[in-house]
Amino acid sequence: MDPSQLEGLPEEDKQKMLSMIENMQTKDSLRMYNSLVEKCFKDCVDSFRRKNLDSNEERCVTKCCEKFLKHSARVSVRFAELNAGAEALMQQQQKR
Amino acid sequence: FLEGGTALPRPDQEVLHKPRFLHTTQTQTQTMATPPNSNMSPAEKAKAFDMAQLEMEYRVDLYNAMTASCFAKCMDTRYKEGDLNVGENSCVDRCAAKYWQVTGIVGQMLGGMQQQQQQPR
Repeated sequence: MDPSQLEGLPEEDKQKMLSMIENMQTKDSLRMYNSLVEKCFKDCVDSFRRKNLDSNEERCVTKCCEKFLKHSARVSVRFAELNAGAEALMQQQQKR
Repeated sequence: FLEGGTALPRPDQEVLHKPRFLHTTQTQTQTMATPPNSNMSPAEKAKAFDMAQLEMEYRVDLYNAMTASCFAKCMDTRYKEGDLNVGENSCVDRCAAKYWQVTGIVGQMLGGMQQQQQQPR
């Protein structure tokens, strides 16, 4: 989150925005946790002959998480680029 | 998120997106209501906060949907490696770009439909 956008706001508004953002980040972290578990479970765990995960499944889950997190990071970089591009375009259009 | 800057957020930084503008397309610019500022009456300000909240949630949803879709489309689910290979990397980059374009087109179509509905016949 870019703190410079919150400049020029009175302090209480700033705090309100910051706490909104923090709330959303927490909510989103929890949502991501759940969805990642579901995804990796779906992709990696297929047999229920035993109660415990075997080593293949464990390895698969670990790699699934790693992969998803790296993928997520990459997407966030691209998303930021696309956003910045759209903003720049909009500012150009507004100047006309 | 850096405004117009050339630096990108580091991949391990949490990215939560600016609560300001909706998508631009080549021909149509959609903007949400202005962000809360000190020139507003309390009622206007409350509304502006609500809009800012909505827009932030929209951005987060967009990002999550993009991530999920591109993961499904680009990743090998056998999970042989914990790292992304070169092909997957390129796929993700292109997927993000295409997803963004689709969002723009859909935004345009929806905006056009709304306009049609609002026009008196």
